[in-house]
Amino acid sequence: MAEALLDGLAPVITRWTMGGSAAHAAPAGWRGGLGQDAGEAELRLLALTGQLLGTMAVAEPAGDLQVLDDLPRLAKPPLPEALRPRCRRILAALRDADHRRGLLALLDRRGWTMHPADWLPGANEHDLPATYAAWQDWVAQAAACADTDEISPENWDRFGPAARRVAFAELRRRDPARASALLAAKIASETPDRRLLFLDLLTGLSATDVPLLETLAGDRAPRVKARAMALLARLGKGGAVDEDAREIAGFFSTKTTGWLRKSLRIVPQELKTSAQRNRRGALMEALTLTAMAQALALSPEELIAAWPWGEDTHADHALAAMAERSAADEVVVLVAEALASQPGSDILAFIPLLPRMSATWRQQVALRMLEAKEGNFLRALPLAGGDGEIAGTIRTAAGKALLASLVKEDAKPADHAPELAALGLLSARAAASEALGRLTDAGLIASDPRLDLLRLNAALNDEGSNP
Amino acid sequence: MGGDLKAVEQLASDQASLKAAAGLTKPTKWSGLGASHDATLIWGECAGSGANPYRVMADLRDMGSKCTCPSRKFPCKHALALLWINVEAIAPFPAAETPDWVSDWLGRRRTGVVARPVVKAESGEEKSLAAALSEAPEPATDEKAAARRAAASAKRAEDTERAILDALDALEQWIGDQLRLGLGGFVGDVTARCRRIAARLVDGKAAALAGHIDELPARLLEQPAADRIRAATVELGRLVLLARAYRADPRAPELRRAVATTENREALLADPRTIRVAGVWEVLGEQVRTRRDGLVSQTTWLLNLGPDQPRFAMLLDFFPASAGRRGSVFVPGEQFVGEMAFYPARAPLRAVLLGREAAGEALRAWPEHDEPLEQALTTPWLDEPWAVAWPVLLPAGRIGFDRSGATWWRGSHGALPLGGEVTGLATGTELTRSVGLWSGNRLDLLAARTPWGRIGG
Repeated sequence: MAEALLDGLAPVITRWTMGGSAAHAAPAGWRGGLGQDAGEAELRLLALTGQLLGTMAVAEPAGDLQVLDDLPRLAKPPLPEALRPRCRRILAALRDADHRRGLLALLDRRGWTMHPADWLPGANEHDLPATYAAWQDWVAQAAACADTDEISPENWDRFGPAARRVAFAELRRRDPARASALLAAKIASETPDRRLLFLDLLTGLSATDVPLLETLAGDRAPRVKARAMALLARLGKGGAVDEDAREIAGFFSTKTTGWLRKSLRIVPQELKTSAQRNRRGALMEALTLTAMAQALALSPEELIAAWPWGEDTHADHALAAMAERSAADEVVVLVAEALASQPGSDILAFIPLLPRMSATWRQQVALRMLEAKEGNFLRALPLAGGDGEIAGTIRTAAGKALLASLVKEDAKPADHAPELAALGLLSARAAASEALGRLTDAGLIASDPRLDLLRLNAALNDEGSNP
Repeated sequence: MGGDLKAVEQLASDQASLKAAAGLTKPTKWSGLGASHDATLIWGECAGSGANPYRVMADLRDMGSKCTCPSRKFPCKHALALLWINVEAIAPFPAAETPDWVSDWLGRRRTGVVARPVVKAESGEEKSLAAALSEAPEPATDEKAAARRAAASAKRAEDTERAILDALDALEQWIGDQLRLGLGGFVGDVTARCRRIAARLVDGKAAALAGHIDELPARLLEQPAADRIRAATVELGRLVLLARAYRADPRAPELRRAVATTENREALLADPRTIRVAGVWEVLGEQVRTRRDGLVSQTTWLLNLGPDQPRFAMLLDFFPASAGRRGSVFVPGEQFVGEMAFYPARAPLRAVLLGREAAGEALRAWPEHDEPLEQALTTPWLDEPWAVAWPVLLPAGRIGFDRSGATWWRGSHGALPLGGEVTGLATGTELTRSVGLWSGNRLDLLAARTPWGRIGG
């Protein structure tokens, strides 16, 4: 009945839209109730029409509705209900991406995940714990909604450049070998800039990537070529001495020092012009560590041992970046050890190495930094991350300095919030409880919101994945 | 304790504040009193004149305080009363985990303030708690004066009634003009046209209706352009229905509330028709809107978890936007035991909270959806045809997307279009129960139960 009435009202609505009287166009069954007075009849008709349209005319979807798959359950359970409100508050207050990653890593390490009602990852977010991969896939599906096709040589051109990269990254995560074969077939059609971006998406290198990388090692664009060669070098391939390598060898010489225990030492040539400095930097950016070592007639391990660490920060950073890009894992560890053993080691030098370092190693170096003079938690956070699980944090030099500055007379309630947050992320559970005790003894009240992360840490057991 | 009492006296901006605070030191006015484990923070909820209680908190280290009431006095009478109850141990402050709203305040507190400087009252008058407690003598009763006041009051009521009826005539005339000039033009110029008639209604003592019309353009412009003529027809039709209903029964409290003003808390509690419902309630969510008239409306939606009706309660308060942002009183998802006083109406919904306490650890399930969906969606408009939206409890369903990407709630017996954006978890799980505000053609989800737990709010 409602449908028939709604059809009958179409001329009424048309008249009112344009302006004018519509009573004479009212549905026949209503006319008797509208009365004789023209103005009154319009108002009565409006009341009836409004009531009908307001309650009985509910829209229906055109065609079938599409429903997303269920959000998958992850291998680790979401946080217990009791901790969720605090975690939401922390998340809302964390503006720094490092801190947010730290929070996710802390939960992950203890065997928990965020609750999906509080947080979902972005489809393209990097550096997340691997636990969230299934949610990232789901978010990507939700964003695409209709287009859930897997990328293939046939539909490669149907994707826009950004969507193509997203789809490729997903394929790489699910099936690295097929992603490698796909890239080998299609990368030639991309511009040099985009070829470089695709190379950056080759996570988890393996022998199946060698054919692709060997093709790209002959790429016409020097940057693509250098990147492919660096990746090949990581896999222990390539590294033949070419002209560039011979040129870099010209910037250094080797000499033997010591009487009883002879040791080899690399001596950089003095650089007289900025052009020379730039050229040496450019060569170090392009070459693999293996190629440079070969040009100096050394093994990569000997090159690291003989390097004059601490004499030229720029050169140290360049060599560290070179190692991260192109050296095998054991060589990267040697570089990191060499950097860490320098007095006052510079955090910036470590940053390129972090993706290649083990959690234990990062934790050890972070602890050394906390014990160093002027060490603080904020600087150590990028090194150890939220899964640092460092014991006795408040007893380190950084902890003592923090306690001292909090009790200063001019201390303000909002001071040190980032430092306290970093302390909350770096600490092991027992260390978090200990720190809370020491901080409240020092005068902070237990409910201070700056202590939220410490309180979450102390309350978070590691039974998440095995509740 | 004497020293502490002195501190409360010194904090008060004047003797009137202390006097007002004295009236609030009865434990029955308060619920949820608590203190942090280290006894530095105290808090509580005090029943005020609004529907929501005020949240009051104080830091005993420096006697700093905060209250969610709109008073411009600092500290307000509620904060003074809280401190007073504490120093005189009038009621216990059990040690508890510091609630989020207290922590939030602590995090935002202006820094570096150690203690408020003591300011003497401008009049030079000494402030004293003892004086605040003494009863002022009742003014002598004068029967003739009382009769004069009653007659003046009746005359005012009659004038108001006449003014409202005149204003409603003007409204109907205006509606007729909109139809004559065309709803196409009305939609294009809706803000200015509504502003003019709303101003006329304010002059005619129909303040509530003026507020409703002032918000009409916002409701209309939220609709897709193709749907605005239909929406305008519905809005204007509802105004005609309201005007006719008021003329038929100007004394009906729900009609006076919709057209003129809402009875105050005291009148509501004194009215024998007021329904009081005690039970367990869940906070569904809160909506805060700044209105065109400079007031901010704060609406809290509550779900009755017991078997009784009414199923929903709406706590509605207004405060001036100039009073700044006001903290929420409730956390979405929290459940509490409380008593509501519902404003008399054919379909009671608006209420004030009389008092509440914690519901305990175990969360209660939502009630079963107990009536056919079509009935749940249409019945409220039989009782209150001019309502803007009405809460509805929906059975199991799921979010779906149509070809244009618009979202729908889909149940076993049909689909309802959703207003606003729905993303995230809600779109990737079954909604075993949902609550939304149904406006007759669009559903705004407030909260839902899912296999992942409660979402929304």
